[in-house]
Amino acid sequence: MLKLPFALPRSLTKFFDASNSLLTSPFKDARYYQILFLSVFLLLGVSTRDWSLKPIAIAITFATCWLTQICMISIFPSPSQPEKERWTSLKSATITGLGLSLLLRSDSYGAIVCAAFLAIASKFIFRTNGKHWFNPANFGIVMVLLLDQYVWNNHAWVSNGQWGEDSLYALVFLGLGGIVLKKVGRWDTSFMFLAAYSILEGLRNLWLGWTWDVLAHRLTSGSLLLFALFMITDPRSIPNAKNARLIWAVAIAVLAFIFRNVFFNSDAMFYALFLISPLTVLGDRLWKAPRFQWLPKRYSIQT
Amino acid sequence: MKRFLMGMRVLLSTALACLVVFTYSPAVYAFCGFYVSQADASLFNKASQVVIARDGKRTVLTMANDYQGNVKDFALVVPVPVLLKKEQVRVGEQKIIDRLDSFSAPRLVEYFDSDPCARYEAYDRMTSNAVGITRSAAPAMAAKERRDYQVTIEAKFAVGEYDILILSAKDSDGLESWLIDNDYKIPQGAKALLQPYIRQNMKFFVAKVNIAELSKTGSQSLRPLMMAFESPKFMLPIRLGMLNANGDQDLLVYILSPKGQAEVANYRTIKVPSGSDIPVYVKNEFGDFYKSMFKTSYEKEGKKVAFLEYAWDMSSCDPCSAEPLSNDELRKAGVFWLDSPNNSGIMPSGRRRPIFVPNDGRVFITRLHIRYSRDKFPEDLTFKETSNQESFQGRYVLRYPFKGETTCDAGKEYQRSLRPRFEKEAQTLARLTSWDIGDIRRKMNISVLPDPVEVPFWENLWK
Repeated sequence: MLKLPFALPRSLTKFFDASNSLLTSPFKDARYYQILFLSVFLLLGVSTRDWSLKPIAIAITFATCWLTQICMISIFPSPSQPEKERWTSLKSATITGLGLSLLLRSDSYGAIVCAAFLAIASKFIFRTNGKHWFNPANFGIVMVLLLDQYVWNNHAWVSNGQWGEDSLYALVFLGLGGIVLKKVGRWDTSFMFLAAYSILEGLRNLWLGWTWDVLAHRLTSGSLLLFALFMITDPRSIPNAKNARLIWAVAIAVLAFIFRNVFFNSDAMFYALFLISPLTVLGDRLWKAPRFQWLPKRYSIQT
Repeated sequence: MKRFLMGMRVLLSTALACLVVFTYSPAVYAFCGFYVSQADASLFNKASQVVIARDGKRTVLTMANDYQGNVKDFALVVPVPVLLKKEQVRVGEQKIIDRLDSFSAPRLVEYFDSDPCARYEAYDRMTSNAVGITRSAAPAMAAKERRDYQVTIEAKFAVGEYDILILSAKDSDGLESWLIDNDYKIPQGAKALLQPYIRQNMKFFVAKVNIAELSKTGSQSLRPLMMAFESPKFMLPIRLGMLNANGDQDLLVYILSPKGQAEVANYRTIKVPSGSDIPVYVKNEFGDFYKSMFKTSYEKEGKKVAFLEYAWDMSSCDPCSAEPLSNDELRKAGVFWLDSPNNSGIMPSGRRRPIFVPNDGRVFITRLHIRYSRDKFPEDLTFKETSNQESFQGRYVLRYPFKGETTCDAGKEYQRSLRPRFEKEAQTLARLTSWDIGDIRRKMNISVLPDPVEVPFWENLWK
C-alpha cells in the first residue's frame, strides 16, 4: 500500500494498491511503449529540429500501413492467431508507420505509399516458419532508396543529419529506448551493436590520427542511436536466441562500418541491416529459442 | 632568399581559397518589376566559395581564389581524393561563380500597397538583394630540416597561370618537411592535420602562380581552379583550413546536381529564416540585415548547423535576382551532364523563365552557407545528393504603405492598421537580427503614425 499523507476515499484505494499492475506498468504490451516513445520523438523532431514534414505525408504513411496490414492479414492469416485478435496486429503496423515517418523523407506521395506498402507486405512475403525476417520499416526504406538510386528518381531519401549531434537527444533516446528494450529484453542487441560499431570507429579514428572529438561527433548522431535502439531490436524479426542475436548485431556493425568508410555510403546502417536480415533464419536454425511474443499466450509458442 | 609564402593561405585555401563577392546585376527581369542594385559591401569575412557539380561519383570541383597579397607568395594545398592528370585540371572563370552567387543570393522583394479607397489590385515590384565581399588573411610559420621525405611527385604540369604538383606522401613528417624545404611555409600543427588525409590515401594538389603566365593573362587577380575526377567521396576537407584561423570561417558551397537538393550528411542542415515582412528602411541596410540575421540564427542553433540559403531548379526562378545561367555558363561552372553544349538563349522578360531542357538536362542548385569553427565542426563536411526537388529561397518582404490621400472610411481603417503592422514588422526584425527594438522603431518613425484608436463597434451601426 502506498502511504499517502491524507486519507483516500475507499473507492479510490484500489488504484493506489501496490499490487495494481497499472501503477507499475500500465501497458502490458510493450508495443504501446514503443508507439508512445516513437510518437514523442516524432513530435520532438517536428517541433524542435525543424523538420519540414507535411501532415498529409504522415497521414498517408499510417493509412497505407494500416490498410496493407489489414488486407495482408486477411489474405495470409497466421495460423496461431484467432480472428478477433487480428486487429491487435495494427499496433505493429503503427510502429512501422512511425519508423517510416521518422526516417524516410520524400517530396512525393507515391514514394511514401510505395515504402509503406512494401514495408508491411514484406512481413507476409518473406517469412519462414511463420516468422518474418525483414524489419518492415527497414525493408521499406531500403527498397525505396534502391529504387531512387538505380531505377528512377523516386523522390525519397534519408536525412542522416536531421537530429544533429546533441547530447540532449542522445540522452532522451537512450533513456526512452532503454525502457522499451528492458520490456522486450533486447538490451543486449543494442549494446552489442553500439559497442562493436564504436570500437570499429574508434580504431579507425586512432589509425587516421584524428582527435577524439571527431569520434564523439560520429557516434552521437541521433540517427545512429535511433537505429540502434529501435530498429535492430525489433524482437519479432531478429534471431530468437541470445547468442544468435549478439553475433547478428556484431555482423551488422561490421557491415555498416564497411559501407560507411569503404564505400562512403551515408545510409550504411540501413543497407547493413537489410543484407544481414535473411541470416536471421540461419541464426534461428543454429540456436534454438522460443520466438518472442508481444503478449504471453497460453498455448505453446512456435519457433 | 626565402620567399614569403602565406602559410595560412596555403591551409585556409586547402579547402577553398577565395573571396566571396555577392554582387548582382541591375535590370533583371522579374514579374512586374525591376531590380535595384546596391553597392558592393563586405559582408562576410574570410569566406570561401566552392562549386561542386556532381552526378553519381563524377565530380567537378571549382575553388574560387581571391588571394589578396603578392601573387608571388601565393600557394595552395588541397587534399584531393584521386590522382589528377593535367587534362583533369582547368582554370575557371570568376565571373561564373559570381553569376551563381547572384542567382542564388538572398533577395528582397518589394510590394506596394494600393490606394485603399480605390478598387484595383496592388502591383508588385521586385528589388534586389544582398552583396558582400570577403577577405582572408594568411600568416606564416617557421620550418624544420629533414632529408628523406617519402613524398612522390605524381604529376607536375602547368595550367593557365598556375604551376601544379600532385603529391602523394607516406607520412606527415615527410610531407611537412618537403613543403617547408620547398619554401611553402605551413603553420604549426599542420603535421597532425595532414596525417589523416595521408592515411585516407588522399593526394595533395599543390598550386603556385607562374608570374610570366599571369602577366600574359593581363590581370592581377587569380582565376578559380577547376578539377574533374571520379570518387565516391563527396566531401570538403575543411579541417585543414581551420589551422590558425581565429574564430569562425564562412564557406559558401554551390552544389549542382541533376537529381535534386544536396544536404550535409554529417551535420544538421536547416533553412535560413525566410519570408518575413520587414520594415522598409532595411532596403538600404540589407547587407547589415542579412549579416545580423545569419549571425543570430547561427548562434541560436548553437553554432553547429549548416544553413540552406537557396535550393531551386536552375531553369527558373521566382522572383529572380539574376538571370538564370545559360547552358554555356553552366558548362563553365562544371555541369557535365547537359545534352547540348550550345547556348539555349536568353529568355524574354516575364515572370518565370522555363528553359525547355530534357529531363536529364536538369540542373538543381543548392546553396549552403556554413560558418564553422574548430570546436563545433570537428569532422570534415560530407555531402549527400537527394532527389528532393522542393524549392527554397531566402526572401524578405518589404511592404510599402500607400502614401496618398485616404479620406474614405476604408482609408481611415487602413491608416489605423498601419501602426500595429509596423510594430509587428519591427518585432520580426528585432527577433531575426537581435537589433535593439528601440533603434528599429526610431528608424521606422513609428511614432509619427496615428495611434490605432479603437473605434467602438456601435459607431458604424449608428452613425
